[in-house]
Order: sequence, then structure tokens, then C-alpha cells
Amino acid sequence: MVADLRRCVGCQTCTAACKLTNATPPGIQWRRVLDLESGEYPDVRRTFVPVSCMHCGDPPCLDVCPTKATFKRDDGIVRINAEVCIGCAYCAVACPYQQRHIVKRRELAYGAQATAAEDARFDPRSIAVSTKCTFCSDRVDQAASLGLTPGVDPQVTPACVNSCIAGALHFGDRDDPCSNVSELLAHSVHFRMHEELNTDPGFYYIVEERP
Amino acid sequence: MISSVGRIEPWRQRNWDWRAAGNFIGGGSGSGLLLSVPFAGDAAAPRLTLLGLALIGAGLLCVWLEIGRPWRALNVYRRPASSWMTREALLAPLLFACGAAVVWRAGRTFESLLAGLALAYVYCQARMLQGGRGIPAWRHPRVVPLLVTTAIAEGFGLGLAVLAATAMGVIPASLPWLTATALLARGAVLIVYRGALAGKAPTLALAALDEHIVVDRLLTAAAMICLLAGATIAGGRWLLVFGGLAALAAGSLLKYTIVVRASFNQGFALPLLPVRGPGRAAPGARPGW
Amino acid sequence: MGKPGATAETRQVATYCYNCVAGPDLLTVKVTNGVATEIGPNFAGAGVHPADGKPCVKAYGLIEKTYHPQRILSPMKRTNPRKGRTQDPRFVPISWDEALDTVAAKLGDIRKRGILDAEGLPRVAVTFGHGGTPAMYMGTFPAFLAAWGDVDYSFGSGQGVKCMHSEHLFGEYWHRAFTVSADTPHTRLNVSFGANNEVTGGPCAVARHADARARAAKRIQIEPHLSITAAASAEWIPIKPKTDPAFMFAMIHVLLHEHSRERLDLAFLGESSSSPYLVGPSGYYLRDAATLKPLVWDTRRAAAVAFDTDAAEALLEGKVRVPNALEVGADDERWTHEDISAPTAFTLLVEHMRQYSPEWASSVCDVPAATIRRVANEYLDQACVGQTIDIDGVSMPFRPVSVTLGKTVNNGWGAYECCWARTMLATLVGALEVPGGTIGTTVRLNKPHDNRLKSVQPGEDGFMVAHFNATSQKDWMAQPTGRNAHRTLVPIVGNSPWAQALGPTHLAWMFASDAPKEWPDPELPEIWFAFRTNPAISFWDTARIGRAMARMPFIVAFAYTFDETNHMADILLPDATDLESTQLIRIGGTKFVEQHWAHQGVALRAPAVEPLGEARDFTWITTELCRRAGLLERYNAALNRGAALVPLKGEGYDFSLATDQAHSVETIWNAVCQAATAALSEGKEVHDLDWFKQHGHYVVPFDREDWFLTPTMVRQGLRYELPYQERLLRVGAELGRRLHEHDIHWWDSQLSEYVAIPEWHDVPERWVESIRSMGADPADYPLWGITTKVMPYTTGNNAGIPLMHEVSANLRNHGAVVINATTAAGLGIANGDWVEVRSPIGATQGRAAAVQGCRPDTVVIPGQFDHWKTPFAKDLPFPSLNTVVPLSLALTDATGS
Ligand SMILES: Nc1nc2c(c(=O)[nH]1)N[C@H]1C(S)=C(S)[C@@H](COP(=O)(O)OP(=O)(O)OC[C@H]3O[C@@H](n4cnc5c(=O)[nH]c(N)nc54)[C@H](O)[C@@H]3O)O[C@H]1N2
Ligand SMILES: Nc1nc2c(c(=O)[nH]1)N[C@H]1C(S)=C(S)[C@@H](COP(=O)(O)OP(=O)(O)OC[C@H]3O[C@@H](n4cnc5c(=O)[nH]c(N)nc54)[C@H](O)[C@@H]3O)O[C@H]1N2
Ligand code: SF4
Ligand code: SF4
Ligand code: SF4
Ligand code: SF4
Ligand code: SF4
Ligand SMILES: [Mo]
Repeated sequence: MVADLRRCVGCQTCTAACKLTNATPPGIQWRRVLDLESGEYPDVRRTFVPVSCMHCGDPPCLDVCPTKATFKRDDGIVRINAEVCIGCAYCAVACPYQQRHIVKRRELAYGAQATAAEDARFDPRSIAVSTKCTFCSDRVDQAASLGLTPGVDPQVTPACVNSCIAGALHFGDRDDPCSNVSELLAHSVHFRMHEELNTDPGFYYIVEERP
Repeated sequence: MISSVGRIEPWRQRNWDWRAAGNFIGGGSGSGLLLSVPFAGDAAAPRLTLLGLALIGAGLLCVWLEIGRPWRALNVYRRPASSWMTREALLAPLLFACGAAVVWRAGRTFESLLAGLALAYVYCQARMLQGGRGIPAWRHPRVVPLLVTTAIAEGFGLGLAVLAATAMGVIPASLPWLTATALLARGAVLIVYRGALAGKAPTLALAALDEHIVVDRLLTAAAMICLLAGATIAGGRWLLVFGGLAALAAGSLLKYTIVVRASFNQGFALPLLPVRGPGRAAPGARPGW
Repeated sequence: MGKPGATAETRQVATYCYNCVAGPDLLTVKVTNGVATEIGPNFAGAGVHPADGKPCVKAYGLIEKTYHPQRILSPMKRTNPRKGRTQDPRFVPISWDEALDTVAAKLGDIRKRGILDAEGLPRVAVTFGHGGTPAMYMGTFPAFLAAWGDVDYSFGSGQGVKCMHSEHLFGEYWHRAFTVSADTPHTRLNVSFGANNEVTGGPCAVARHADARARAAKRIQIEPHLSITAAASAEWIPIKPKTDPAFMFAMIHVLLHEHSRERLDLAFLGESSSSPYLVGPSGYYLRDAATLKPLVWDTRRAAAVAFDTDAAEALLEGKVRVPNALEVGADDERWTHEDISAPTAFTLLVEHMRQYSPEWASSVCDVPAATIRRVANEYLDQACVGQTIDIDGVSMPFRPVSVTLGKTVNNGWGAYECCWARTMLATLVGALEVPGGTIGTTVRLNKPHDNRLKSVQPGEDGFMVAHFNATSQKDWMAQPTGRNAHRTLVPIVGNSPWAQALGPTHLAWMFASDAPKEWPDPELPEIWFAFRTNPAISFWDTARIGRAMARMPFIVAFAYTFDETNHMADILLPDATDLESTQLIRIGGTKFVEQHWAHQGVALRAPAVEPLGEARDFTWITTELCRRAGLLERYNAALNRGAALVPLKGEGYDFSLATDQAHSVETIWNAVCQAATAALSEGKEVHDLDWFKQHGHYVVPFDREDWFLTPTMVRQGLRYELPYQERLLRVGAELGRRLHEHDIHWWDSQLSEYVAIPEWHDVPERWVESIRSMGADPADYPLWGITTKVMPYTTGNNAGIPLMHEVSANLRNHGAVVINATTAAGLGIANGDWVEVRSPIGATQGRAAAVQGCRPDTVVIPGQFDHWKTPFAKDLPFPSLNTVVPLSLALTDATGS
């Protein structure tokens, strides 16, 4: 995934889209967008930074997971098997991107009373286990049978990417040099977060055009 | 509701709370105690072993209480190849079996074997903490010698205190000195650990550690004085109790600090800030560091 | 995740969101087993909708909105006759029959006695909120209003006078722009004075600005705090609040006094503005005595000739001697001049702006003179005077510089100056209403609403027609026709259907309790309808508004949950909300905030789910109300005339409804769908309601050339009325005479705004003065308080939706009092501390957000909160600026905002 920080305005549309698509409970945001102020008055900046699971190539969350609930797919997407996870939160403390979320009990938007939509979407398997962004892998998985390309065709593209009103989020195959994201990265100056931790994150941030 | 919403600067992780700290405290001091058994004299061995196992068990109970799906706990054994949590869990039954052998006096070899397993156990725990790579105060390799030496100091201190406070047996003359040595070593490792962490952990994590270090120094100094005085002054039995307990307290507090209070996570950082329109990217930002 | 196993019946329903004025935007709703579960883009809108069918974050809150557990799901009536914030209304559920019969009986009784009261004021008043957006949710209610007759729209909500108010009036006056935007897809430099587009412009603006940044277009954001828009700009200039006119005047000064004339667009100034008109000693145009046409100096003939004389080469700048001419002032007062020296309007401008140097402005705005000068120079450098661009095969002037204003700049005192200076800056370089420049979006005060170009018609003196309210002795409305007296006090607002709601709508509230002595004491309306508005939260001095509201004798509120306004209601009618009801609206063309489409058409709001409980489609409610009130014939006739979007009968088609029967919701909208498509396709295609339920929207091409007004102006030989506002000068003088003839003097300071070329007056000082007038010491109130919007909130409309609160919490200013960190430290305030913001009229509390990105003399309170009734919102510990801002005549400008 690629986030073009030149474009993002922190509108949180992607945050909300992910929440609805994945029915995450109140307070749990697999995708969120930071509002990061730096500098001193009057030379101040605010940068809006979409964050989620980085789907690390070398995920610290994976090595530590005692149950093998965390696994990495061949396409690089890191997932969690909710049936196996014991909710020990080891992955949560191992992830340097703060992207593991565990809720101990069912949380509701309006407090006591569940809405019809919440009831329709509730999955008890999601309680007390570790959860995180899946790169919408259920959508991505449909690509092959439908003959579509993730990141290009909305139907097989992550919900947050589809929703982004600034065109800041992109998704694609970084290993394919001709993919949309490879093209984008080739023409831009970009970085990955906490590169020094050698996690090989699958999430890139663009900051300027390649000079 | 545990929520990260709105946070940017590193914040205290809340996934592992006092219960996890309890495991490191119980597991560490318990293992340390088991390590002290061969030095504690024959008479006290079974009871000290029982106490050590109880501490380790209490630590494990804490963890069991913490995990989200306790009835699936046995899944923990699925990744011995890389997870130190699996490895810790693997060692636990061995430790208990071996401990049982000691308790039933199956032979001195079991004491040594148990000490070896205890050392392995505390090592696992230390590596487990180090595996928490999202927490800068944990992931530094120096955390391993720190936790191991701390466990030894705690365990020896506790053993000494128990022996001194009860009539379990004679106090071997070497025990106060061994405890003091362990304390000294642990103090030294703590300084090295803290030194190595400079610039490698968020400001607030370092502040929490520094706060503890003040207390730690006082406790260690008190323990040293008590131990040395107790070992040299006749009738200094109660000084040994205090010294041992102070060693235990310093260690336990340290682990509570590291696991709960200094456990600030990585936060977020940008090596470069984006252009908006014309111009070039600007130098980055790393709030909270 | 989703439930395992069970096979679910899932549908995607295409619909629209128009919860804020930045819409409409397209979206889809995922419905599983009859329950709406997800919101997403409508990718069928890709390439049609400027944001490719994507809605903003607010639309994602519609699921929680629909299933809000505290929704009002049956009609209710009040059983406690006493009204007020502290009174429990004791609402009890009643049947629709009882509710509708009660309201219909009231209406019927009024009709018998006459719809106007003894003072000529309508007995029925209606208030809708948020920039007209309720119209997109109220089905056929406009047909009821049309069937009824005179209605008073005087009672303001936060919309109108607290919104882009002066902009609406002057924007339409100068360039048919209810709101003004940059031509973002072509502009290279956008100088924005608090236009918070990245937050308030919806997906269309955000997408367009992101694209602009990608092609290295520059935006300079001039604003007291580092808003999201400022953050996403190339440069942020923190200006002292309410001093924007000074900055803009200084920019004009630089253009006029620090560069050679040739750098300006002299052709545009000469041919498309009033610059060459000669001005007489009394400040009015010199006119030809016979034709009364304004004179210009023809350099070829060396004579003063009528402005529209063939082949005249009008002198732009200078003073000339005119042998004889006539000047016409207020009330047709005439002066005949002989051999008089007269400057051109442009020369008056040049002379007038001499005093406003960047150095002068610097002391007013607290911005370095060098910065102001640099911005002005960049503006000129980027203007590309003389260049052209090809827009879909049509060659047009290309002026990629734009100036935009936010709603705190183009409203209230100083707004006249700002709106004028903005349009003037465009005029000087010919960037007005051309590609890349400063352009309008929509019209509301003028008609027709679907295409602003069609509203352009020749008026007097070579300008577009302007519909002033009469100020002549004969025709001036001494007796107001509505309780805010828009026709009496505000000539420029006119009297079109939208005009009254854009009058000084706070006066209706203020005068309801204490009218000035020379003013008739107005009776309150006998019925007040309110829908999607919450003045008790959104207005100034909300406590006072609440008290005024409690005096309303009979309030009918369409209600979705309880709120602070319907707390005072007598009858609550639960409308089926966004995802539950049917309506067809227009999309495309050019529209605020930044919707410039290459298509136009219509979109259906299709019911995705069944209405909850007893909630009913607005069209059903309206039809029933009309039937019971004996208005059915008139109502159906209004529908046939086009009160619900389009006339049902046109050339080659007739979908008219029989007028003698009550039609179902589907029947009505089916007819509208067919008529609308027939009209759009000029009879070639007709699509019914079922087709729209499948397809969502229907569009035909809209020429991008029509985004710009100037070609139409040129075609009609019209000029923009800038730089010199002779007409405003005249109506102002006349208005003053009328008011004084009636011994009304409380509007005098407003009269001072009627000048031909705006001048700086100390706007911040007016606020300081108002503190003094409340008997307080300005030294006790050292900080400026301003407000700003937040993307996930649409005014106070969705404050009760938890998802919006949750995602907003990622933003550093959510629900906070934003304050400069150094200032905060000086006051002993740490980030996150609980603080109180006080004014002489009240106090509001919240958490401090100590930041660097805010002027040291300013605090910012985002959004509109401080709810005490709205469920969920009332439990948020958020402050509101509205609690501490006074309702004040002294702080009201001449347009009434
Ligand atoms: N502090 C501050 N105040 C402001 C502004 C600001 O930026 N800051 N902005 C000003 C501006 S620009 C404007 S336009 C005004 C807007 O202010 P208003 O015109 O008063 O409108 P809203 O606040 O949107 O009020 C909408 C009301 O409709 C209700 N509602 C929402 N959905 C439905 C529905 O489906 N059915 C029914 N029956 N009711 C519904 C909501 O509960 C809410 O009470 O506010 C102004 N006030
Ligand atoms: N997300 C969202 N979008 C909306 C709406 C909404 O409620 N939510 N409402 C819609 C409506 S009704 C309207 S009217 C528009 C309004 O749209 P905008 O006018 O773009 O938005 P605001 O944020 O209300 O105000 C603009 C900015 O003015 C700045 N400001 C305050 N005082 C001054 C001053 O003295 N000088 C300068 N230069 N700047 C100043 C504030 O910092 C604020 O950020 O937005 C529309 N779009
Ligand atoms: S970001 Fe965290 S959760 Fe995601 S793969 Fe990397 S370490 Fe694992
Ligand atoms: S919480 Fe679940 S996924 Fe995470 S480490 Fe434990 S078992 Fe693995
Ligand atoms: S990829 Fe899917 S799961 Fe991940 S943040 Fe985006 S929407 Fe959420
Ligand atoms: S939707 Fe796009 S612009 Fe908005 S916050 Fe998310 S990434 Fe940024
Ligand atoms: S910008 Fe306004 S109309 Fe458009 S989707 Fe958002 S709330 Fe709805
Ligand atoms: Mo507004």
C-alpha cells in the first residue's frame, strides 16, 4: 500500500470506511490517520499520516506469536486466524506500529443498545483475540477468479483505498515492476516508517516527486 | 475501552498490564529462588523449591488471567521454532516435574537440574520480553542480562530472607555474599542497560526508568548495607531478612517499571515531511522522542 | 468479519448524500437482509462526479444515524404547555392521524382568517437549516409551501447570517456567484483568506485540490490558525482575525502603485468593467443628458460619449474635461455640469488605494509588509495576462490566479470590503470568471437556479440586471413583509424566494422580544415549522435564542431525535431519514462549494431500507397534510408546475398528476423522474422511478465553458460593476433617507457601508467596542475567539453520531479549545487541561489543545457543540463559540450578517 502524504488531508473517510467494511467496534481503528504537528510558531506544519498494519515482510508480530495464529500469506499479507489466537497480546507488544487491537468484550456505539446494523455484523469470534487490518484480503482474494486487478478494479481493492477522496491511498503488487504502485514509487521520493527496525514494511509514504 | 485513537506520541502499551508484570516478577524471583536452592543447604531445599514453584505458578496464573481466550491456552505450544512464549510454556512443566523431584528428595542431581531449568526459564522470560519489539525499553538486547541478573539477585535475596526469617535451616555463609554480588552485578547491568537506551527509547519511557532508578539505587544501597552488615555482625539475622527483601523489592519494582510503566511504544515518525504544491520535502518529525 | 455460514441476501443501493452544502455526492449503501450495513462510493459515478462517486466521511455516519436507538419513531405531542430549556416538554406518542389533523386544523383555521396577520406578516413561518440542504430531504414539502402562499422565512438558523452571508449578496451582485471558488483545475496560485476547502469543500474540492497540488499549484492560506487547509497549503500566513480587508487592499495597492500599468489586463478593465466610466463631483457617474447613459472618454473622438458607443476607445485612467453632463443621485436628484473635470472610476480607484500600502496593512494585520508585498507580486507574476487556453475547443483567457474567502471573512463587518477586494483583484488581471481565475459556483438569489449563465440579463448602465428592493419614496417597504424586514433594510438582497432567508434573520429573533421603538411590535407566527435546523445551538447567543423560541405559540418540528430546538415544539413529526425515503434532485453543472461538473442531471435518493417505526416519507407527510388541510388541488397543481424539481409537463411530454386526488410517494416521484429525464434529454429518453432505483442517476453533458461567466457577459456586451459601485452608493443614500424619514436611526452605522469604493474601517475595533458597550473592560478579554469546521461534522447536524466523534478524535482539535502553546503556558494551561472561555455574555468550557499552529492572540473552538438535549452529543464535554458570542445589532453589517 502507498499513501501519498502530499494529498492526504486527514479527512478520516478511509478510517470510517474501514470501520464499516470490517465492522470494527467503537474505538478500534484498523486504519486511522494521524494529525501530526511539528515545528514552532509561526513555522509549523501539520502532516496527515494514514497508518494501519504495514504487512511487514519480516513481521515481529509473527515470530512471537506462540499459537501460529499469525501467519503470512504467500502474497505477503499478514493475517490472524481468529479460531486459534488466544489473545495473549504478545503480537501487540511486538508490533512497532501499534497495529494490533484486542477488545475483551463487545463494545457498542450507543452504549447499552446494539443497533440493527451492529447485530447484523457482530461476530463473536472477534472478541478477545488479536485483530488488525487484513489488507481487505477477502476482496483481494476474489481478484483471480474475477480476472480483476487489486488496486485497479474497485471490487477487489481495499475499502480504505476505494474511499479516499484525495486519491492519496494506492494498493497494488510491489513485486510487479509494472504495477500501479511500482510506477508511483518509481517516480517519487518515499520512505517506509521505522525502516531502522528492519521489519520490511509493505506500506510506503510518498513525500515528493523524484527530482 | 483500550483505544489508540488520537494518539501519536508513544503511549504506554496497555496490552500487558500488572498481570504480565506479575509473571515476570513471579517467574523471575521464583526462578532465582530455584537457582539459589543448591546454595541454600539441604534442609531448606524442598520448601524453598516449593516456594519458587509457587511463585512461578502464580506468575503463570497471572498470564492465564490476562489472555483473552484462556480455554484455548494450550494453543500456546504451537510455535516452538521462534516464539519465546512457547518456549517458556514448554519449560514450565519440566520445571514443575523437576521441582517435584526435588521436593520429594529424588536426589541432589535434580537440584542442579532444576537450577539449570530455572536459569533457562528466566532466560526465556527475558527473551520473551526482548521479543516485544514494539516497546523500545524491552527490545534492547541488554534487557536479557538485566532480567537474568535481576532474577538471581531477587531469588537469592528471597532465599536468604526466608532462611533468615524462619528456622528452616542454617544460613550458608556464602549466601549473603552471593546475593550481594548478584545485586552488584544487576546494578551494573542496569546502568549499562539505561545507558544503551539513551536515544533509543521515547522520552517518557526514559523518564519512567530514571524515576525507578532513583528508588532502585536506594533499595540496592540499603540491601547492600544490610547484607554486608548482616553477614559480618553477629546476630544480624534480621538485617539479612531486610537485605534479602530489599533485593527482592528492587527487582520486582524494576520489572513492574519496565513492563508497565516504561513500556511506551514506538509511536510514529516521519523521516521526511511532504511538499504541498511546489517546493521540496522538509526534514522529518518524531514526536515523543 | 461478517457472520459465518448463513447466506445473506445482499444488495447495493445507489443514492446520494446532501448533508452539507458541499454536496450532492454519490454513494452506495450495502443492505444485508434488509439492514443497511455499509456505505461506500458509487463507482458508476467515476468520470461523471468530480470525486468519482466518492462521498466524504460524514456519509459513512448514515448507518448509525438510521439506527440511532434514540430516534423519534412516532409522532408526538407536547403535554406540558410551558416551554423553556428547563421545562420537561412531556412529549407523548400520538397517532399520525391525530398529529396531522391537529396541524391541518390549525392551518385550516388560519386560512379562514387570512394567511397574513393584521400587520401584514405571514401567520406561518418556516425555517430550514444548513444552506438549503434540507430541501434535498423534504420531498414535496416545497409544493405545500407553494400551495399555501405567503410564508415567513425570517427566523434564522445558523445558516444565512452566520454563514457566507455577505458573499451571497455581493457575489451574486457582481458575478452571479452565490459562493465563489477558484477554478481549481486550472489555477496555479490560490490566495485563500480562510477558505477552509480541504475541510468544507467535500470530496469534490478535496479531490480537485489534491490534483492541483500534484501539478505543483500553490495555495497560500491566510488564516489565524493552522487549519487543515492551511496545513495542506504551500504557505500559511497567520493573520490577525477580522483584518483581511487590509491585506487585500494592500495587494491591490501593490498592483496599482508598484508595477507598470501594462502588467494589468487593461483590455479587460476597459471593456468588461466600469473602470472607464467618468465620475462626477457628487460621486455619481456622469451621464449623457439625453439618454442618461454613463459617459466614458473616447480617446479617438476626444469626447465624452455614452459607454456603449460603437468603436469608442475608452480612456481608462486620467482626468478629463467634459463640456456638459448630468449626474443622477439618490431619489433622482440631478446635477447638470458644464465644463467639468472628471476622473475615470479607475483613477478614483488608484487614488483611493494609494493609502493602503503593505506597510500600513502590516500594522493592521500583524503580517510583515514584505510578506504581503510578495504575495501580491506572486499574484501578478502568475496571472499570465494576455494568455489563452483551450477549453474543449473554445479559446478562452487563461488567468491561473485566484482569491478565495472563507465564511468568517465574507460575512459580517468587513465582508463588503473583502468580497469587493477579492473580485477586484480578479478584475485587475482579468482573472474574473475565466479559466484559472476566481469564479462563481451557483446562483440562488437570481433565477434560474440550474444554470447561472441563464440568470445573466442586461440591466442598467451596461451592467447585469440587479434586483434591488425598492428604496424610492414611493415604493420602499416601510412596513416589513417578513419579521426580519429584509425588503425594508437590505436592498441588495432583493425579494426572490431565497431572499427572505438571507435577510438579517437574527433581527426576527431579537425583535420578537424587544423591537426598537419606531418599529411595529411584530406578532409571532401562529405556526412555526422547523426542519433540519437547530438555531438553539447554531446561532449566536444560543441561550437568548432559546428563550425567544420558547415564546413561539405553536411549533411543528420534523424530528429525528430530540434536539435543543424541537425541545420547544408542540408537535414532533418523525420523517423517514436519508436512507429510508425517496427524492430526485439535480446534480452537476456548477454548484457550491466546488462542484464544477462536465455533466448535469438528476440523482435519486432511493430508500435503501424500510423506515423505522412510524417514521414516514416526507412526501407522504406533505401530501397527507395538504389533503387534510384542504390544499390538495393547489398542492398537486404546484407539483405539476414544478415545485418538486421539474414541471411535470413540457414540450412533447406530460406526466402531470390529477389534481383531485392524493398520490402515493412512488406515483409522484415516478412522474418527476420521467419528466426530469424527458426534459434533460429533450424528449429523447424517459426513465421512470424503477429505472432510477437500478441506475441511481442520469446525466447529460454540461459544457465546461459554462463554468465561466465572462463569455456570457462578453456575448451580451455587459460589464462587471467594479471597481466603482455607484448603484450601491445611491441605494444606500436612499435607504438612509427613508429610514430617517421614519425616525429610524438604529441602522445608521450599517448605512455607512454604502460607499462606491470600500474603505478600511477598523473592524476588530467594532468587537472591542461591543465589549465596552456590554459594560465590560476589553482588557479582561485579551484573546480573539474564532470557529472552524471539522470534516466529519456537518454543522451541528450529525453531532449525535458516535462514529463521527470517534474518527474526529484523530484530529488534534476535536472538541477542544485550541490555543497557542506559548500563550497557554503563559496562562499556566497545559495541553489537555480543562479551560473556560468567557465573554461578557457567558462562558463555555472544554479541554485545551495547546498547539504551535495558532496565533498567540487567538483561540479556536471548532464546530458547534454544547448540546444539552441531542442524544449522545449532550454527553460530549465540548465547548461552543456560540454560547459566548452576542446577538448584536452593532455587530451586524449592512447586509444583515
Ligand atoms: N460555532 C459555530 N457555529 C456555526 C457555524 C460554525 O462553523 N461554528 N457554522 C454556521 C453555518 S455556516 C451554518 S450553515 C449553520 C447551520 O446551522 P443550522 O442551520 O441550524 O443547521 P444544523 O446545525 O445543521 O441543524 C441540523 C438539525 O437537524 C437535525 N437533523 C439531522 N438530520 C435530520 C433528519 O434526518 N431529520 C430531521 N427531522 N432532523 C434532522 C439535527 O439533529 C440538527 O438538530 O451553523 C452556523 N453556526
Ligand atoms: N465538513 C463540513 N463541510 C462543510 C460544512 C460543515 O459543517 N462541515 N458546512 C458547509 C457550510 S454551511 C459552509 S457555510 C461552508 C463554510 O466553509 P468555510 O468558510 O471554508 O469554513 P469554516 O471552517 O467555517 O471557516 C473558515 C476558516 O475561517 C478562519 N477564520 C476565522 N476568522 C478569520 C479571519 O478573521 N480571517 C481569516 N482569514 N480567517 C478566519 C477559521 O480559521 C476557519 O478555519 O462549509 C460547508 N462545508
Ligand atoms: S505492522 Fe505490526 S501487525 Fe502488521 S505485520 Fe508489521 S508487525 Fe505485524
Ligand atoms: S494474541 Fe493471538 S495472534 Fe497475537 S500473539 Fe497471541 S495468539 Fe498470536
Ligand atoms: S486494507 Fe481493508 S482492513 Fe486494511 S485498513 Fe484498509 S479497509 Fe481496513
Ligand atoms: S481518505 Fe484519503 S485523504 Fe482522507 S484521511 Fe484517508 S488517506 Fe487521507
Ligand atoms: S460533502 Fe457533504 S454532501 Fe458530500 S458526502 Fe460529505 S456530507 Fe454528504
Ligand atoms: Mo453555512
